[in-house]
Amino acid sequence: MTGPPKARESGLTSCLCCHQLVRMPEGEESCRCPRCGGRVHTRQVGSLTLTWAFVITGAFLLVPANILPVMTVIYLGAGEPSTIISGVMQLYDSGLWGIALIVFVASIAVPVMKLVGLVLLLVQIQFRLPLIPLQAMQVYRVVSAIGRWSLLDLFMISILVALVDMGAIAEVAAGPGSTAFATVVVVTMLAARFFDPRLIWDAYDARREREDAVEGAVRNG
Amino acid sequence: MEQAVQKKPEPWRRACHQCDLLLERAVAPLGQKLVCPRCNATLHRNGAHSIRYTAALSLTGLLLFIPSAALPLLHFSIFTFGAENTLFNGVQSLFGAGYIWLSSLVLFCSVLAPLGKFTLLAFISWGCGWEALDRPVANAVRWYHHLRDWAMLDVYMLGILVALVKMSDLGKMAVEPGLYCFAAMMLVSNLTTLSFDPYAVWARMARRRERPPAGEAAGGGS
Repeated sequence: MTGPPKARESGLTSCLCCHQLVRMPEGEESCRCPRCGGRVHTRQVGSLTLTWAFVITGAFLLVPANILPVMTVIYLGAGEPSTIISGVMQLYDSGLWGIALIVFVASIAVPVMKLVGLVLLLVQIQFRLPLIPLQAMQVYRVVSAIGRWSLLDLFMISILVALVDMGAIAEVAAGPGSTAFATVVVVTMLAARFFDPRLIWDAYDARREREDAVEGAVRNG
Repeated sequence: MEQAVQKKPEPWRRACHQCDLLLERAVAPLGQKLVCPRCNATLHRNGAHSIRYTAALSLTGLLLFIPSAALPLLHFSIFTFGAENTLFNGVQSLFGAGYIWLSSLVLFCSVLAPLGKFTLLAFISWGCGWEALDRPVANAVRWYHHLRDWAMLDVYMLGILVALVKMSDLGKMAVEPGLYCFAAMMLVSNLTTLSFDPYAVWARMARRRERPPAGEAAGGGS
């Protein structure tokens, strides 16, 4: 019993840029889209490898991003560097719970959720674990959609650095943690970009075919 | 999923870009969207007058970019000392402090990507009316495809709001006219993303190739 028809089995591939259906030359894995001129691949080249590389890099950099200070507020000559977490705690202590929640979600929860979500997808595909494709697609879509909001803290830092610039009275300076955090955000965005969701369905269909074959053998034997 | 009968003998086919499902006669009626029956991905949103809306909105965005970039957004003062920020001087301060990577990223996401997005969409929506520009328009659509995720005016706006609240107890914070232009530009940016339908551009160019007479080609629009 064959599953739903896939473009790959018919020698066709959808261009990811303009969604034109392109006939793949015999034996080739990529060609040029006749409509928009972009390069079309049956599946994104090195999708799993690149995504793993970006995910691991992001996970490593998440440590300095949260340990090192991202911003220092100096007021009347006195000031302490603050990390992302201590910045959230300061907002919370000041009674600004809503803003603290926004910054916590954008700067701490979202990067962690992205990395965990991507690792789940990668592990399920690579080690052929049972997966529910629709749930995996939801994880992928959430990961793709929420990534950009992590830059909130960095934008705030760039705004404050220019805004609070009064010499000895008050000053805001960026810290080394912001560089690590910026890299984490970009790396996780690239990881989601290079992940090919069609691999989820490839893994699902391959697993189902194996189960059908085993079931057929049992029935015949 | 809704299907429509095509005039061509060969059925129009497409493949879902997220699960590779092969779909036949997959065309969305006007004003509706096409959803993959297998993975629920939105394949096509067939909006009315997509090209015209995109042309108007992208030009509006370009016009709003000028005051947004030139005018200050916020003003902050302690006692008699004051400072204000624009889109650029935060980037300059970070660059001067040695944070080259951080300042480049902020500059790209808050200035270059939105500006590039408006420029590309203006060129696409106006340029697809001329046959000589078919190849540059195709390249522009491809560039837009890569650039659209990096325009983050809405995240920047949220950053402004957080900065406002964070520093309001330290000194006096005031909103400048540039911020209103920036907010308007942010709204226009999101509306432009929603209104742009690349399929309408491809369809218009394909229709012109099918109908050689130049007189009718210019009139075609969606």
